[in-house]
Order: sequence, then C-alpha cells, then structure tokens
Amino acid sequence: MTVLSLPVGQCATRLGGPEDSPGVLLPALDPPTCFIPLGAVKVSAGFPSPAADYEEDRLDINDYLVRSPISTFFFPVQGDSMEGAEIFDGDILVVDKAVAPRHGHIVVAFVNGERLVKRLHNRHGQVALIAENPAYPPLVIQDGAELVVWGVVVGKFKRFAV
Amino acid sequence: MSTFALVDVNNFYASCEKVFDPALASKPVVVLSNNDGCVVARSAEAKAMGVPMGVPWFKIRATFERAGGVAMSSNYALYADMSNRVMTLLGNMAPGQEIYSIDESFLDLTGLPNPVAIGRKIRHEVLRHTGLVVCVGIGPSKTLAKLANHVAKKAVHDRSGVCDLGAMTQADLEGLLRHIDVGEVWGVGRRHTESLARYGIRTAWDLRQADPETLRRRFSVVMERTVRELRGTSCLQLEEVVPAKQQIISSRSFGAPVRRMGDLQEAVSLYVSRAAVKLRRQASLATVVQVFIMTNRFKSEVPQYSGALAVPLTEPTDDTLRLLRAARYGLQRIYRPGFEYVKAGVSVFGLVSSTGWQPGLFEAPGRAVERGRRIALMAAMDQVNAKWGRGTLGPGVVGLQESRVWSMKRGKMSLRYTTQWDELPLVLAK
Repeated sequence: MTVLSLPVGQCATRLGGPEDSPGVLLPALDPPTCFIPLGAVKVSAGFPSPAADYEEDRLDINDYLVRSPISTFFFPVQGDSMEGAEIFDGDILVVDKAVAPRHGHIVVAFVNGERLVKRLHNRHGQVALIAENPAYPPLVIQDGAELVVWGVVVGKFKRFAV
Repeated sequence: MSTFALVDVNNFYASCEKVFDPALASKPVVVLSNNDGCVVARSAEAKAMGVPMGVPWFKIRATFERAGGVAMSSNYALYADMSNRVMTLLGNMAPGQEIYSIDESFLDLTGLPNPVAIGRKIRHEVLRHTGLVVCVGIGPSKTLAKLANHVAKKAVHDRSGVCDLGAMTQADLEGLLRHIDVGEVWGVGRRHTESLARYGIRTAWDLRQADPETLRRRFSVVMERTVRELRGTSCLQLEEVVPAKQQIISSRSFGAPVRRMGDLQEAVSLYVSRAAVKLRRQASLATVVQVFIMTNRFKSEVPQYSGALAVPLTEPTDDTLRLLRAARYGLQRIYRPGFEYVKAGVSVFGLVSSTGWQPGLFEAPGRAVERGRRIALMAAMDQVNAKWGRGTLGPGVVGLQESRVWSMKRGKMSLRYTTQWDELPLVLAK
C-alpha cells in the first residue's frame, strides 16, 4: 500500500516587489512525499529521523535521494555516454550543487555552452571529463581552459509507465 | 548595540537565467517585464554596455542584439523558487530574518562576533548552494546596513562584496558617505532629494550631520528617524511577521489591444480570481472592489478613454464569485465601445481580517450556511489550483487559456527549470 500525501496551499512567504508583479505561488520547500509503510522489515536501531512524527516509521524517497533541498536540482538525461555508470537516456539525475567536486565524482558540467554529464578525472594536474561508454573519447581540459563543474550527481530516478 | 545585515542577490533575475543556461555564460542578458515591455533586470555585462534600467525593449533591441545580447521574458516561477532557496539558507545562518523583497533580506547579527566573517560565509554558502552571488552590507542600524550593501555592490571600498560600516573609523566613514548621493539613503525618496538640497543636504554624510529635530519639523518623523539611524542608533526593528496588505491590485497590460466587452470581461474576471486568491492567502476580506480599464496614453493618434469605478459590497468577502459579480457590474458601468483598451485591472481594499469579522445581527436566516458552503468551495478551488496549476479550476467567465486574445506576450521565456517536471533542464550524455 502506498500513501501519497500532498502538502496543499503552503505559500511560506509573501514576496515584496512591485504591486504589479504577478502573484507568485511559492512552491513548498518540502515536496510531495511518498510514504511506504514499513511492514515486518527489521530496522537496526540508529538515530530516529527528526521528521518522523508518526506512530509508524515510514520511508521517504526524498530523505534517501535529497540531502540538501536548497542545493538540489533535477536534470533529465539525453544520450547514452554514461551507460557504464548505469545512467541511461531518460533517467532523471539528482544533482547537488553544494557538494565539492572530487576526482571520480559524476558531475554536471557546462562546456562550450552545453550541459554535459561526465565523470570527473583530476589526477596529477590533469583534468578531464570521462564518458562511461567506449564509443565516446574523454574530454581533456587543456591548460588555461576553464571547466565549470555545475554540481555533483548524487543519485537518479525513473518512473515506469504502467 | 545592534548589528544588522542586508543581503541582496546581484542582478537577481538575470543571474537566475545564467545559472541554468550555459549558452548565456558571458553574454549580456536583460530580463523584460510582462509583455516584453521594459528592461527589469540586467546582467553585469548588460550594465557595462550602458543599458539603462526600465528602458523600453524596442528602443535598445537592435543595438543590444547586434552586440550579442540576449533578452529573456520574466520567468517568475523560476525566480520565486530560487528566491526561496536563498531565503531559507539565509534564515538558517542568522538568529533573525526579515525577508524584504524577492531578492533582499535583512538579518539580525546582534551579539555575534566578527560580522564581516559571517558576511563572507554567507556569500560563500549562497554561491555554493545556488550559484547566485550576493552582496552583504552590515551596520548598527537597518538604514546603515542598506547603505553598506550599496557600498559593497558598487565596490567603492573594496571588491569583496562585504562592507561593514559599523567597523569603520569616523574618518573612513566620512570619506565614504561624502561620496554617496543622499538619494541613495533608504527612505529618502527622489521627492525629498530636491527639498533636502535646498537646505544644503546633498550627500549621505550631510544628512547624517543634520539636526534631527530640525528635519522632523521641516520634513517628517521618518526623516528624523533616518538621521538617527545614519548615526548608528537603531530605530527600526526587523519585521519578522510581514503585516497584511491593505490593498491588493491585480492588473496587466494586454498582449494585444482589446475592443470587445467579452474579452475585457474575461481579463477582469481573471484578475478578480487572482486578487481573491491573495485575499484568502492573507486571511482578509474586502469591502470594496474597484475595476479600471484604459487605452494607450502613449498613442496620441488614437481616441483616449480611461474608466474606473469602485463598487462597495454589502458585506466583506473573499469569495471569488461575489467579487466577480461586483467587478462585472463595475465593468459594465465604465465600458465604452469604440476604444482600443491596452490595460485593465482590479483592486480590492477596505480589507478586514477574516478571522475577526462578525456577520450582521439582522442577516437573513440561511445566509451563514450558504457562506460556509462558499468557504468550502473556495478552499477546494484553491487546493485544486495549488495541486494542478493555476487556472485549472475557476469561474467559467475567466475563459480558456488558449482562446485569450489578450494574454501576455512572452517572447523568450526560459523553462521553469525547478518547478515543472516537463521543463527540467536536459543534460547531455554525449
């Protein structure tokens, strides 16, 4: 059984600005939540979630995928260059802008006016963006060229038509 | 001794566009008002080109586009979401917060050590989380914090984006404020700059040195307070709870001129619906609905007419349908055929709190039951529209989105990158 609960009418702030500006409906910061009741699943005792205010502990996909709602953005994928990293055409990536990019991270980067998803290579002073598909050569960042890493991919999700 | 900070996002709307669109990276970008009329935001590159704020788009279009500039229609869904992210982050970084506008927030840093370091941390964190650059002004009063923010943004003192007027020596402060026009001081309107000049007050420093008592007699208690705030005495506290508006206006210019009563009726009905949603959101009831329509004042070659009528209601209400009836009655009274209307609008005022309102002693039996039903209907409508998007469910007279001849022109609207599943920014795996 799945319960879909939607927060309705949460408009936290009234924005100032010119009287003439359109009424802005502010999206709730805590997005719709999908609860899956825990049946007979055994859970090891750890920290109780501060969000758990219910008789029964429930799992929230947002808690699992989104660490920091303020800095998390979603990007759908187009193309097959990252299939080796299990990122497929049509997947939606969860990208955290606040994570500092390191060698080995899968990143979203702005290169020559395009948004790309690649694995970041940064070793011995050599910086490159690497595809996870032999059909695509690595993109080596030349000395002096600037690479803008937009954010770090921290997860992905997909919904199937049923 | 208080410490306030005023944090604002540099070129907010233009910066939001740049965060998501790599093609805009180093290009001059302007954001246009509704109907792509005037420039309401400019990127740093556009400012450097000398594009003035508020300039009509048609005047600069040719030169701007030749120089590689890009104009975007305003995308308020995106700006509101980015604003929320920034405001939430700022709220988490200070004990007190007053959200002042979509891109500005006062923070209370009273008692915290090293406010400049906090300012730098704020800049770093906002950039890291959202990709937006903010400037931080710090001072012992809100007026000084706002002035410090101006100094930080103009980079007159240094280029760090943080300025603390409270940490300056008297001599440094004087050197700085002598170069700031008195009109830049928060609360000094353009109206006042001329009259202040008559008393020899031309810079922020002049105002600071003026006698507060004299200014109260010649101007107002507000001006006196401004002087005291400039001297470092905090007279204005953070307003953490924003007072409810006393008037709500909903109006737009049309994408194309409108002649027919039917089209005006649709537009006015839509504006009423929006005003009513705002009323319910701030828990107010309106006692007067005013409706207005106007032709294009700037086209002297066409016949000119503008009409307005305020319609009082029998009892205060936030009910869309009752407000609609009043507004349509008003529209019928002011409509004149044979004119090209370019703007219409609705304002509701005489607002009272919906929680404190008492019905009349002699109202008809059954009226309360009907009112209860209406409240439930309006709540349901608001919920449907919150869940499935504005305009999903509404009064029939508002008409269907597609058929509106008067709908806004939005030439180059970016995607709602953060609030719509089907408009998320694509990333290429190539």
